[in-house]
Amino acid sequence: MTSDILSCALRELRRKKLRSLAVAFSYLITVAVMLLTANLLLFSRYAENEVLAATGTHFVTYLPNCGDITTLSEQEVAELARGIIPAKCQELCKNCTGCNKKAIDILNEGFMINTNTTRLVTLELVDRIRRLATVADASGYLLFRFRDPQSGRLFAVGGFDPKSTAVATTCCSHSDLIAGAFLGSDSSGQVMLEQGYAANLGLKPGDQVVIASESFAVAGIINPGVRPGRADVYMLFADAERVMNRRIRNPLFQEANIILIEAASSKLHEQAMQDVKGLVQSDALVSYGCYVPASQALGLNEKTIWLFLALVGGAAALFAAKTQISSVIERRRQLAVLKAVGWKNSVVIAQVFAEALLLAVSGCIAGALFAWGALQVLPVTSLLGISADVPLILNWQLLLAIVVFAVSSGSFAGLLPALMVVRQNPAEVLRRIQ
Amino acid sequence: MNVLLKVEGLEKTFSTRNSVTEVFKNVSFEISPGEVVVIKGRSGEGKSTMLGILSGLDRQTAGSVVFAGERLESMTVSELAELRAQKIGMIFQSFNLIGSWTALENVEAVLMHRGISPVQRRQKAQAVLHELGLGERLDNYPTELSVGQQQRVAVARTLVNDPLLILADEPTGDVDAETAREVVELLLPRVRNGSAALLVATHGAFDLNYADRVLTLANRCLVAENGRSQDKGVPA
Ligand SMILES: Nc1ncnc2c1ncn2[C@@H]1O[C@H](COP(=O)(O)OP(=O)(O)OP(=O)(O)O)[C@@H](O)[C@H]1O
Ligand SMILES: [Mg+2]
Repeated sequence: MTSDILSCALRELRRKKLRSLAVAFSYLITVAVMLLTANLLLFSRYAENEVLAATGTHFVTYLPNCGDITTLSEQEVAELARGIIPAKCQELCKNCTGCNKKAIDILNEGFMINTNTTRLVTLELVDRIRRLATVADASGYLLFRFRDPQSGRLFAVGGFDPKSTAVATTCCSHSDLIAGAFLGSDSSGQVMLEQGYAANLGLKPGDQVVIASESFAVAGIINPGVRPGRADVYMLFADAERVMNRRIRNPLFQEANIILIEAASSKLHEQAMQDVKGLVQSDALVSYGCYVPASQALGLNEKTIWLFLALVGGAAALFAAKTQISSVIERRRQLAVLKAVGWKNSVVIAQVFAEALLLAVSGCIAGALFAWGALQVLPVTSLLGISADVPLILNWQLLLAIVVFAVSSGSFAGLLPALMVVRQNPAEVLRRIQ
Repeated sequence: MNVLLKVEGLEKTFSTRNSVTEVFKNVSFEISPGEVVVIKGRSGEGKSTMLGILSGLDRQTAGSVVFAGERLESMTVSELAELRAQKIGMIFQSFNLIGSWTALENVEAVLMHRGISPVQRRQKAQAVLHELGLGERLDNYPTELSVGQQQRVAVARTLVNDPLLILADEPTGDVDAETAREVVELLLPRVRNGSAALLVATHGAFDLNYADRVLTLANRCLVAENGRSQDKGVPA
């Protein structure tokens, strides 16, 4: 029974060589294009991933202050300035050390990033973040806004650990240096100035600046650009702790207000953000990198290619369906005769389906072989301009995808003609003389 | 004599967009094995339509058809197909051979999908074609055969399943009188030995001398019944 259908289908395809070849060829082209595109895509993505994985991405994170100082009454602010924590702040700040370490000049000074006041976190938390699998490095950072008592000018001081890689990407690095020298671990008592700030005050390497009554030598001028941890004056963490302690009510103890983080890889960027959030367990946690994660931008590109592949596949299936339909229309009389001599609808449908499937499967196999051959010969590496050592593979997922495509588009192509077979009234077809 | 085909109150109307065409109504007749019955009628009277219904390819609007003890109107489409495969042979005016199939394949098609082994199938088809003098043309396509040969392939296709009822729609329409007679004479032996009945639809070209009975379809009714009823002998 099945072999009858198959041999009849084969016979039909053999007798209509041109049409069969046209349909099979359309499948061949489709599968070849799909496979080549998919392979090039996989190849280039692999190569891009290699680059991305090596690049890494970074972000900074902090806890915003529990309340904006502007929501306090004048009396409460005055009390806070004297070290008395308002009742509602006590309620909010149960586990926070920030309240008793507020700036003495609370209206002008404080632990800030951009214009937001932040809470303090322990360096122990920073250590735990550093140990996360998705995180390559994490570093505590002190960022405090000072007010110059003489000029009244506000400026931010950043205290960093020069050995941390997270610092280099989120705060400042050797490559930002414009003049003088970059701070090293032994540069206590020295500072680096942000280029614009230095220009404003007419300072250059070798000059002295006074911060919270302590004098520092200007070691270098840097231009860190738009890094998130940007400050006006950069100094070593320990120096920063010391000068900041002079301006707050209680001294810092193993604390920082900003965490600089380097994700393990760009692909893990978002996961790293999630992990940090989970560790800190605070909804208020704010994390930001300086750009859209690269993996997202690349993912978009990939989606477009898959869409393109779907379109190519759809077009081939439509073409096959169209050819198959016209073949059925052409053979209306033949199919009616077969019904007249006793073939059941199911047999005629199976016949039409078998033809469609045979064409789809043989065309797709030929296409896969063609693509495989082409991938052996094509100089893909030089075509794409990416030098990465990626083995070109027709992996089993791709092969499975081809099989699924062949069967589904073949069935699709056979579906409408089969419906037509059922609907057509053979008596009507046969009544008419050719 | 037992009745092979019993038609009672048969009616067929076609409803198209906004008109209803009544082709025939109240048609009743019976056919017994061994009979040759001719349905005569002018073009458009509904002869082909009636054969379509009798073969189970089409459905009537009203009335009943009982063939070999089975009521066609209560059978499913696939049961009707089965019935055709086993008990009915059809022959058409334009032969309706499948152009991309050889003579043998055309005849063999009737025996396919019925659980008959390919070898048996081929032998049976070859035997019938041999019997009809086409033993040398088994592997020819219809276009490679003369019109008369094509007609004989069509006859072979009709006879290969040993039908109880042979439905012939204008079987002599396209060929010269001599060839037409040949076709009828190829079909007749099966009828005369009592194994089958032959129902022929014609607008007049068919030699009525072969008929046991002639039914005339006119003005939407089966109006007259006559024929060679007195003389049941085989015509010369
Ligand atoms: N699908 C349809 N819709 C409407 N009318 C139809 C349809 N099919 C057939 N008819 C009508 O039914 C009538 C009978 O047609 P049929 O083909 O059976 O005639 P016929 O007797 O076989 O004619 P001929 O000798 O020319 O073959 C015709 O008038 C035709 O127009
Ligand atoms: Mg007709």
